Amino acid sequence: MTFMRSLNAGYKLLTLIIASLLLSFTYNIRLNLVVTALGFVLTLTTTGVNKKKFFLAMIPFFIAAAGTFMTGLLHGRGNEADAITVLTMTDQRILNANNFTNGLKLASRILAYGGLGMMFAFTTDSMELIMSLMQQFRLPPKFAYGILAAYHFFPVVQSEYGTVGAALKVRGVKAGPFSTKRLFPMLVHALERSENLAMAMESRGFEAGKPRACAFRVPLRARDFVFLFGLNGAVLAGLFLL
Amino acid sequence: MEKKYSWKLNEIIFTAMLCVVFGVIYLGAVWLIAPLSAVFTPMGFANLGTEIIFGVWFMAATLAGYIIRRPGAALIAEILAALIEVLLGNMYGPMVIVTGFVQGIGAELVFAAGKYQKYDAKTVYLASFACCVLSFVWSFIRSGYGKFSIGLIVVYFIVRAISSLLFAGVISKAMGDGLAKTGLMKGYAIGRTDD
Repeated sequence: MTFMRSLNAGYKLLTLIIASLLLSFTYNIRLNLVVTALGFVLTLTTTGVNKKKFFLAMIPFFIAAAGTFMTGLLHGRGNEADAITVLTMTDQRILNANNFTNGLKLASRILAYGGLGMMFAFTTDSMELIMSLMQQFRLPPKFAYGILAAYHFFPVVQSEYGTVGAALKVRGVKAGPFSTKRLFPMLVHALERSENLAMAMESRGFEAGKPRACAFRVPLRARDFVFLFGLNGAVLAGLFLL
Repeated sequence: MEKKYSWKLNEIIFTAMLCVVFGVIYLGAVWLIAPLSAVFTPMGFANLGTEIIFGVWFMAATLAGYIIRRPGAALIAEILAALIEVLLGNMYGPMVIVTGFVQGIGAELVFAAGKYQKYDAKTVYLASFACCVLSFVWSFIRSGYGKFSIGLIVVYFIVRAISSLLFAGVISKAMGDGLAKTGLMKGYAIGRTDD
């Protein structure tokens, strides 16, 4: 189906932000899992979603959820009363039932955020999002096109990271991934590049505050409101009923 | 007359470009931290991996605030950083924008307290620390830190504070000063005041 793709990107963003905020008010495990499942279903039934990529992208969530579960289990703020002593392979540990649920609550929340996040990431075009923020949410064109210009340099900056690292290596300079020796040349390049871009845009007549014609219209339709109120209504209902 | 609040195009693109650079650095860091987090998982310290590099998130806010020196610069930079994360397909998606907003407010408040006139080392370090404090409060709401034991919360806070001061404080300030020295920054507030 193409429902998720046809939604207005800006309103989809708004809808999912509200849904995520609603979820942060609760630790309802069942609701979190339902939302996760909903995110999976809506994303996977959308045409053109690369399923392999989707499952690869979900791995970090499961790792993060597992990590948080263990944290909640071992370092949670449970009652001493319901503690049980468990023998693990290496040593004897005191776990408690309360912390077990705490761990589940936190882990399921991560999955729910992940489901919503993936739903957005896999069905939204970045150009459409910026255009929608400009047309429906009054993002000034200066910002919209400025952000798009910089965003499209991501692959360049990424390869630059490697190039700068290699250049340092050739000279026998040791530089860690966060080393300022690596960061500084990248920032200088970023500065030069943005000066050039800004000059290029302005010399071609890009001016703020003038009325602009727009070839790329992002429509706002009834379905966007259906999604906005439908999803958040469902989450709200879930808060009380599940 | 130049308006105090209106941004120039080169400032916007530079800020967005900063966010892209830090985005790349952060991505590199995530791969580096992943094995560490994996080792921490059975001990129940998985989040420690993320806490160590948390300060990288605030670099856009403090550096842009320090360079552009305009009301709203730090906050807008942090929201831009979040928006770019979303464009790049950040796994937590839309929620990142709220996070960016909360973190940006931290730095913004400190720069505002100096009436956008004070830009010494102390102010930048304080701004990075304010990001850390606000983001930590947000972690209670978003990630449920309140469910962890007090000891663990204290450890997480200290690690995040050190990370913030190092990345968003010391390194951001050094980078800003370094850029100003190149003489390429005449079009920005930092390049006009430092000579």
